[in-house]
Amino acid sequence: MSRRVRIFLFLPLAAAFLILLLAAMEGIPAIGHYRGPYGDVLNAITVKERHTTGVVSAVNFDYRGFDTLGEESILFVSVIGATLLLRQRPDEIKDTNESEQDEGARKVPEPSDAVRLLSLALAAPAVLFGIYVVTHGQLTPGGGFQGGVVLATVPLLVYVAGDLEIFKKVAPAMLGELAESAGVGGYILIGVAGLIWGKSFLENVVPLGPADPKVYSGGTIPLISLATGMAVAGGFVLLLISFLEETLELRLKTKRRGK
Amino acid sequence: MDLRLVTLPVIVPLFAAVLLAALRAICNSRAADGIALIAAGSSTVFSGIILSASRHQTIVYWLGNWQPRNGIAIGICFAVDPIGAGLATLCGGLTVAALIFSCKYFDRAGTLFHVLMLVFLAAMSGFCLTGDAFNMFVFFELMSASAFALCAYKTEEREALQGAANFAVTNTIGAFLVLDGIALIYARTGALNLAQIGRTLGASRDALTLIAFALITSGFLIKGAVVPFHLWLSDAHAVAPTPVCVLFSGVMVELGLYAVVRFYWTVFSRALPDSTPALQWLFILFGTATAVVGGVMCFAQHHLKRLLAFSTISHMGILLMGIGMMTPQAMSGVWTYLAGHSLVKAALFMGAGILVHQFRTVDEVALKGRCHSWAAGLIFAGGGLALAGLPPFATFFGTAMLEDAAKRSGYGWAPAVIMLAGILTGGAVLRSGMRIFLGIGRGRPLPSSESHDDSEKRGPVSPVMTIPALALLAIALCIGVPRSFRDGILRYAATLQDSGAYASRVLEGTPTPVQTSTSADIEVATIIRSCSSALIAAALGWFALAGRFRGFRRSLAASPVQAMVNGLRSLHSGVVGDYVVWIVAGVVAVGVALMVQL
Repeated sequence: MSRRVRIFLFLPLAAAFLILLLAAMEGIPAIGHYRGPYGDVLNAITVKERHTTGVVSAVNFDYRGFDTLGEESILFVSVIGATLLLRQRPDEIKDTNESEQDEGARKVPEPSDAVRLLSLALAAPAVLFGIYVVTHGQLTPGGGFQGGVVLATVPLLVYVAGDLEIFKKVAPAMLGELAESAGVGGYILIGVAGLIWGKSFLENVVPLGPADPKVYSGGTIPLISLATGMAVAGGFVLLLISFLEETLELRLKTKRRGK
Repeated sequence: MDLRLVTLPVIVPLFAAVLLAALRAICNSRAADGIALIAAGSSTVFSGIILSASRHQTIVYWLGNWQPRNGIAIGICFAVDPIGAGLATLCGGLTVAALIFSCKYFDRAGTLFHVLMLVFLAAMSGFCLTGDAFNMFVFFELMSASAFALCAYKTEEREALQGAANFAVTNTIGAFLVLDGIALIYARTGALNLAQIGRTLGASRDALTLIAFALITSGFLIKGAVVPFHLWLSDAHAVAPTPVCVLFSGVMVELGLYAVVRFYWTVFSRALPDSTPALQWLFILFGTATAVVGGVMCFAQHHLKRLLAFSTISHMGILLMGIGMMTPQAMSGVWTYLAGHSLVKAALFMGAGILVHQFRTVDEVALKGRCHSWAAGLIFAGGGLALAGLPPFATFFGTAMLEDAAKRSGYGWAPAVIMLAGILTGGAVLRSGMRIFLGIGRGRPLPSSESHDDSEKRGPVSPVMTIPALALLAIALCIGVPRSFRDGILRYAATLQDSGAYASRVLEGTPTPVQTSTSADIEVATIIRSCSSALIAAALGWFALAGRFRGFRRSLAASPVQAMVNGLRSLHSGVVGDYVVWIVAGVVAVGVALMVQL
């Protein structure tokens, strides 16, 4: 069908779809009136039975930890899919070489001093903050997912600062792959530890620590959070590298030539 | 059985995938083949053990040992009945077959291929075994993410990227629909466990429940490739590597329908009793349309992979008709037919893969009379006859059970549709088989661009490629014959539909009541009818090729029939925007049909 026919058909259908959704949402309890049992049950047992105050992390890494393992595998497989789709084909590499010799080769402007200073100044605190968020998810909001993403911004800051050689050093693809695999693999192994000790998959096998939660409380929760942080950071770094690879090679070449 | 086995069908392939990804730099492709095969094989064995244990009692396993308190689920559970475990075993078995096949198929399959296949298997197994709505959605997404990458595996071909993009867009919309539906239900019940949702919903039939059901069902029907949600399937199957198609057509699409059944019987069947007639009508209507459209489009193809893809669509329609009848007898027919179709379709895709490997093309006209491998010919002949429902293939027993159930539920016309779909799809496969292996009919030399490669000198077909396919056909041939198999399936179908017993089993641990039932006898008339439909399919294939009917075929081509087929073809445009319009139309149709009754 032509574009016009498609839009002509789609608009009334989309309107009908929206009306259906709104009709369904009429049945949702109003804000503040939700009375699902799940939250009350978890609030009652989390501190007592898991020695953690981060109930959200407890849900992510314990009660519904199996979902999180699935989500992490989705990230893992999506990154692999992206690297597969972005892998350079022989003819593409030739193309970039040819375009190099062109007069109109794209010149990437050097970052300004302000950008360099700000990015490099942020890099170290970002490492620290990322580690903090990963390791404190069982006490305060945060955990492996959020902290992992914060950690993955560090190589990006270095890239923005224009230190391409350093970027290649701090973010080798190999390291990203290993961190990602180790993260997902570690998660599975923590689960299997439960099986080995004659318990359920993902059941807690580590001492719970003090009941007044400390950083080392919560048994497997902080460990799984750590594994997740590794997998997420590795995955995002790998994505970054896959997307930047072509530009990076080009920029490094022009830089060397400029010298 | 040790309960700790229950998660292994998921965990083992997932861990093997991670291991292979980590060792990518130092692992050669032979070692990767080995690791992947061991992982997929052990996953299959574990699923088989779980299957045999679940026959007596639905197995409930709480991950992290968070047992429910006062009927409130805290964690996630696997709730495994024989249907779910059987499907997981099927996924494992077909993955093993596909991996064996791919040893020779790819000149150098990178390790990434094995990683993706193993994650795909883990996701499918988890999807079959879980008893939690959100966990099912997570596995649905994991299945999709790995499937998109597998579909686009041949990144050097533009078509592969196009087909995978259509596949990704449509199926992601499906995932959003499912997620929306689950969110609505969660807002109402505060539960994610299937049994608990079903119990909490009770008989609350209102707009929220109905529309949530419409969203979840439509989302899964996209995966199940039901008209009008089916348009992505032929694009994806035409471009995906053959071992991947084996799993796509063999099990992934079927799992969409499994999810519809699972959700309906565990969650909605008690909430929507008054909508049952509307739903039956809807499923049977959609199923009929799918069976006919898929069959006609299948016969109109010359590209073998597309042909097989449309045949899959047609058979999904047959399954959906059975689901719409809703009786345990009909459902037992559905599961039997599904098993038979999966095995046969997987074998046929391998047959197509052998031709690709030998001649670098899957166009049946270009392949006329070129292949002389008896094994490959046997795959096409057996597969085509099985699709047409020849006894004693499992597809025949499935058809017989479906026909029996249709007569009992007052759908006397349904067997005719099933027969037509079987004749069209079987006939199409037999036609291409006759053309390729017997050299009947019109042919065309290979395009010159392909004639310079060494396709002629590629030597004999490797047994590594034919044996898995023939083995699958042999299983399909034997599996339905023993009476105990059919009685068992009827029992398990009834167990799946007993939602009250399911909820007590999951939330309180009450033993599942044992159903006793015997399947209907296979009548001589049914056998004769099925044999004749296989014969008609073969005759139809011959009619489409033989020179003496050329004049008659010409007059057909000028008739309105051809114009209708062309119109149908033009709807399968390959433009993803069109597909989305049809999807929205389908969702609105389902939603409105249910709301009208409110």
